[in-house]
Amino acid sequence: MMVNSIRSEFLKFFTTRLWWGLAIAMFFGGALFAVILGIVLTLEPDPEAVARGQQVVGTPLQVANSVYTAGLTIGYTLTLVIGIMQIGSEYRHKTVSSTFLSTPRRVRVMLAKVVALLGIGAIYGLISLVGSVVAGAIVLQARGADPFPGPEVLRALALSLLVLGLWALIGLGVGILIPNQVAALLIAVGVAWIIEPLAGFALGFWEFGRDHIVHFLPSQATNAIVEGVTQGGSNAAQPLSWWAAALVLAAYAAVLSAVGTWRTVRQDIS
Amino acid sequence: MTTAPAAQGATIEVRDLTKTFGSFTAVDQLTFTVEPGRITGFLGPNGAGKTTTLRMLLGLVHQTSGTATIDGRAYGDIDHPQSMVGSALEATNFHPGRSGRDHLRVLAAAGGLPVSRVDELLELTGIPAAARKRAGEYSMGMRQRLGLAAALLGDPRVLILDEPSNGLDPEGIRWLRGFLRHLSSQGKTILVSSHQLQEVEQTVDDVVIISNGRLVREGAVSDLRGAPTTFVRTSDPAQLAGALRVADVMSSPGSDGELVVETADLRLVGDVALRAGLPVWELRARKHDLEALFFELTEGTNRNLGDGSSAPPAPTERDAVTGQEGANA
Repeated sequence: MMVNSIRSEFLKFFTTRLWWGLAIAMFFGGALFAVILGIVLTLEPDPEAVARGQQVVGTPLQVANSVYTAGLTIGYTLTLVIGIMQIGSEYRHKTVSSTFLSTPRRVRVMLAKVVALLGIGAIYGLISLVGSVVAGAIVLQARGADPFPGPEVLRALALSLLVLGLWALIGLGVGILIPNQVAALLIAVGVAWIIEPLAGFALGFWEFGRDHIVHFLPSQATNAIVEGVTQGGSNAAQPLSWWAAALVLAAYAAVLSAVGTWRTVRQDIS
Repeated sequence: MTTAPAAQGATIEVRDLTKTFGSFTAVDQLTFTVEPGRITGFLGPNGAGKTTTLRMLLGLVHQTSGTATIDGRAYGDIDHPQSMVGSALEATNFHPGRSGRDHLRVLAAAGGLPVSRVDELLELTGIPAAARKRAGEYSMGMRQRLGLAAALLGDPRVLILDEPSNGLDPEGIRWLRGFLRHLSSQGKTILVSSHQLQEVEQTVDDVVIISNGRLVREGAVSDLRGAPTTFVRTSDPAQLAGALRVADVMSSPGSDGELVVETADLRLVGDVALRAGLPVWELRARKHDLEALFFELTEGTNRNLGDGSSAPPAPTERDAVTGQEGANA
């Protein structure tokens, strides 16, 4: 039964110490970046730099959104890690044998992981956002900025939650595809933090790449979902609309998971 | 489930089962049957293909050809696998950061079994308190008991255990023996693998012996032992042999001056000796050396030891099964 498999997946996550370690990391990660950005974005703008176009002055809404989503990068990196570990630790500690013995239909196991991770991603997304909003609102209030310029802030928060959930699924896809947990973690974080931003930057100098490839990169798509103060030179690519960008992230998750699942079903488990 | 009458066992049938890894044939046209209500030892030297066979039976490894069924169905086609088959494959299959009890809760949830069943099993395997500690701290014996508890969660009709006495102390082995006896008396089908016949000799009713992935012997342990004989030492073996022949009992001289008599009746041999006026210096039932027989059946052909000329570099069983996974550990 699908429900049983999903319950089993939730239990797997909440019966190791990982869950509260990550909860603390997400809460304080969100809070820390919100505080930093809350201070930076409320600095007095340098009139000369603004005039030269080197500094963009955000509207109060842009400032609030930027502060509240400042920890998003660290947040989605952590949900990515959760997604990888939900399957990776099964390969690492060979509990995947017991899992497939209690549920021999492997596709069902993978679907259960997807559903469980949507839930876990939402829970951890909320934890991260609570950290960001509480710390960010205090800083904005203290520095004389409006902590809640309008209901659009809620929209940005809801979209952040979507991003965090989608990255957990991307993590699952990576974890299924690369059964070596340590390798999967290093590769995923390395791509998300180093390779992909560099690729985005490099492609910006190539017209076709800038117009047709860059905004499909995962971190670019993520930024497109939660737009804040855009700060980019003339080479910056035009972002996708939020729903198209969300579909792009979902497509990454779906393709990685599908290929990984297809391989897992055929694989010999030892 | 727990109040129902003891579950009847189910038959395990393996037919022409074959598994190749590249050019290496791990299991070769293997055919055998495991009957309910009996304990069957699945024996063979390390690397004979036991684990690969069990994993194919459990749907974890895909066979190249042939079939392996439990109660007529492949493992993947069984609706509630935990209530049909319980298995303990490796004592290390636990997340070190998760407690043993939580490990069982995860499995119970997957099968829709109540948590009360988890505590029942921990009680039954004698580890209720220890199972609340994280599994990384467990001794080998503790892991084996936890694995057994996991296998029994769904009150299965068939029990498949891979080297269950590995790492158990003599006390643990005795406990396991009694436990398996008890389960088989309920009519369950029990298959226990081991690389040592000696280890399971007193536990099992039947044996399936494989070597190099092929069946070399299948049958009851009693058949393996052959007819019982008696060992007697006296001052004049030839005279005693003659007296025994008169009593219709055949005998033959042993290697060390003793007489090997073809009977299990020690008293008869003693009486004959007394009537013949011969002193009895030693009189005992001779235990058939199963270990020697096992070695004979499987020796010389072990591909993993190799004689250096025939076999290509042969991977061990675990490597063969693990394939690329080995590099990830």
